[in-house]
Parts: sequence; structure tokens; C-alpha cells
Amino acid sequence: MMKHEISALMDGELFEDEAEIMFDQLKQDPDAHRDWAVYHLIGDVLRQPEYVHRDISAAVSECLLNEPTVLAPRSHAIKQKARVFALSAAASVLAVGVVAWMSLQISPEAAPQMAMQQPDVRPVNLQIQPKSNDYLMAHQEFSPSNDMNGGASYMRTVTYNPGEKSQ
Amino acid sequence: MRVWLGFCGLLLAANVCAAEGNARFDWLKTIAFAGHQTDYSGVFVYQYGNHVETSRITHVVETDSEYEKLESLDGPKREIIRHHGQVWCYKNHKMVQVDSHQGQVRFPLLLTDQLSALSENYRVSEAGIERVAGYDTQVVLFQPRDNLRYAQKIWVHTDSGLLLKSAVLNDKMKIVEQYAFTQLKMGPGVDRSWIASSATTAFLGKGKGKDRPARNKVAATVNSGWVVDALPSGFKKTMEVIRPMKGKHAPVTQLVFSDGLSAISVFIEPADGDEDDVEGLSSRGAVNLYHKVVDKHLFNVVGEVPPRTVMQVLNSVRYNGK
Repeated sequence: MMKHEISALMDGELFEDEAEIMFDQLKQDPDAHRDWAVYHLIGDVLRQPEYVHRDISAAVSECLLNEPTVLAPRSHAIKQKARVFALSAAASVLAVGVVAWMSLQISPEAAPQMAMQQPDVRPVNLQIQPKSNDYLMAHQEFSPSNDMNGGASYMRTVTYNPGEKSQ
Repeated sequence: MRVWLGFCGLLLAANVCAAEGNARFDWLKTIAFAGHQTDYSGVFVYQYGNHVETSRITHVVETDSEYEKLESLDGPKREIIRHHGQVWCYKNHKMVQVDSHQGQVRFPLLLTDQLSALSENYRVSEAGIERVAGYDTQVVLFQPRDNLRYAQKIWVHTDSGLLLKSAVLNDKMKIVEQYAFTQLKMGPGVDRSWIASSATTAFLGKGKGKDRPARNKVAATVNSGWVVDALPSGFKKTMEVIRPMKGKHAPVTQLVFSDGLSAISVFIEPADGDEDDVEGLSSRGAVNLYHKVVDKHLFNVVGEVPPRTVMQVLNSVRYNGK
């Protein structure tokens, strides 16, 4: 009897006042309430919805009560995280390196600039400094180019650059 | 004039000699001879990279010796006067004598063994007749057999034997530097009044006086104990001196090596801790300079050779003991 009324309620076949009475009974009667839930489940399954309503809260609560509590620190997880970070940092450095290398390959001006940043090794295109003129002069007097070019090759020892301060 | 005629006779003999054999190296003897024995005056252009400079050179032979004056025509006034193996340099409004240690008469410099070394390290070919500064010249090309030295191309005046143009070429046959006369006058018409001018005699007289013996005392040909292990083939030691140098508190050891066409000088001195000296490579035309401080010694290697050669030489300098 009760089951017929629940089914009628679900199908919207009861009048408003009859439905009110049914809701009150469902709230008070656990068996009737369970039947109401089961009928809805049957209906949901028959209509093949994307998800099925099912009350699993009681089952989950029971499982949680049986679960042991773990108090040890999660060191393994942290280490792995650090390693992932290190790897990504290494990848970034590598990427910067590759970009720097590529820019060296692409622009011819980049190479001397990089070389200039190193204080000890200078690029080959650097002009001989005026302070080294004495070495050139000392070298020139023993060079066979004296006999080839005569005194003209001495021009090397006193040559000047307009942008350079003469010494 | 007498010298000029005498020279022409010698030149003729040299040319006959060259025609007989395959000794194209005789062109080097010819230009060395002509360069010392001819009166000439002319304007030449010196060029390397983007740098172009015009200068005038005047060379006259007097009864005692040669006089030579080199003046810059561009930029600040610079002048070099050579006489009797001495060198004076006018720069920054003053004439100073350059410490010079070569003998008074160096001719002929090209020794027979150097000429044989030349043929081992260079292929020589005559490359036709070209006109330079209005004169007909014989073109001669010296191509190195390795990549440790530059190629040289010379244009020799067919009548006088004077070198009218020369170019230094790298291994890709690109010009590294070149000299070329644009205007040249030879023979008796060359101005020699500047030799007797008050300015010239003032410093020439000073050089001839008490200065020279004093200088000979401080510079001495020595066995310094320094050796170079990785010299390119054909380079022989032509000089080893300990010399004072301007601005240096200690004497500098200089070793000179030559293959007959180019030379490499090695300078060794105590390092004074200047950070600029630590290591570096620089160039001016065909001249490359590599310097480095090793074991509290500053090494400077200078030569008309490619950068790799000065570096190779410096890195193989070793103290062998006396």
C-alpha cells in the first residue's frame, strides 16, 4: 500500500494535500524513506543517466574509521619534488645556454663582445696599443721587411688611429 | 750619380744571373740592393683593414752612408730618420733617438742559407708585368708551404729594382696590408738639402758623439738561456740581445727569428703586475702581437706572421738554462 503511494508520489499522480501527508510519513518512517531512495535509484538506472545517485556516505565513514592513522613525515614525496625542480632548473640553464650559443652562431658581433667580457683573453681584432709601439720598433730593426720595403715598413711603428690617443 | 751608374751595372748582372737559373729569389737580392743604393723620393700609401695612411719617403746615399727620412702626410706629424744604423723618431713635437742595436752596415742582410730556407718554405712565381706609379714592374708572388706564415706579393721596378708595391696576403689570399707608391722620383734629382739642415745635423751630431759608445755598453749580444721549442720550419735565430727599453725598469731580452721574408721577435722581461699584461692578442696590419704572463715573466711575441704563429711561439718559450 505504502509502496503504491510512494510510486504514485514519484510519478506526480497525488494531489497536493495527499503529497504533503506522504512527505511527512517518509520523514518519519525510515523504511518508507529507504524505499523512496531505492525507487529513485531504479528509475535513474532505467533512464541510464550519466551518473547514478547513490548515498555512499555511510560506507565511506565506516572505511575511514578502520583506516590506520599515519604520523611519519612524507620525506619521499618532498625529495621527489626537489628533484623535479632541479631538473627543470637544469633544463632552463641548458635552454639559456643553447640560446646564447645560437646567438653566437647567428651574430658575428656577439663573439668579440663575449670575449671582451673575459678580462684576460682579448679578441684578435683588437688593435695593437700605442704602449706596445716600442716592441714594434725594436722588432722592426731586425725584420727582413726593412730590406723589402726600406724605411716604409717603419710606418707600422708610428701609425696612428684617429680615434686613439697618441702616445 | 756614380753610385747610381755602378748600381745599374750590378743590377744588370743580377738580372742575367736570374735569367740563367730558376733563382727567382734573386728578386729579393735585387730589391734589397736597389733599396740601399738608389736615391729616391716618393709618396706611398699604407693600408690595412679600414686604415689608409699616406707618407713621403726620401732616401739618399752620401759618401759616408745612407740617409732616409719618412714623414707622415696624414694626421699628427710623425717623422722617422735613419742614418748609420741609428733611428730617430719625431713624435709629439719632439725628436727622440730610438734605442738601436743593429750594425752600422747591414747590407747584404739576405744570407745564402736564408735564401735556401726560403725555397723550402715558399713557392715563388713570377706573375707578369704590371704598372705601378707610372713604372713597369715585375710581379713576384711568394706563397708559403704551410699556414704559419703569410704570402707576399711584390711589384719590382724592372729598371731600377726598387720595390714599388708590396702586399701581404693571408691563407685565403685576402690582403692583410699593402704599401704602394703613388708617386716616385729616382736618381740625381732627389732633394738632399734636408740632410744639411740645422734640425737634422743637431740630432745627427748628438748621435755621432758620446751617446753611441754608452749605448753599446748597455746592450749586449748574449746567450740568455731562453729557447723556443715550436718555431715554424725555416725560422733561424738571427739575434739575441739584452736591451734597455723605454719605460721598463729592467732590461728586456729579445730573441729574433727569421725565415728570410718575415721575422718573429720574442721579448722577455720580469712581469710588473700590470693587469693589462696578463694575456692578449692584437694586430696592426700584418704584425701580430701576443703577450702573456707566465711564472712572473712577461712575454711579448711580435711578428709579420699570422696570429696562430705568434701564439704557438709564445706557448713554446722555455728557459733552458745558460
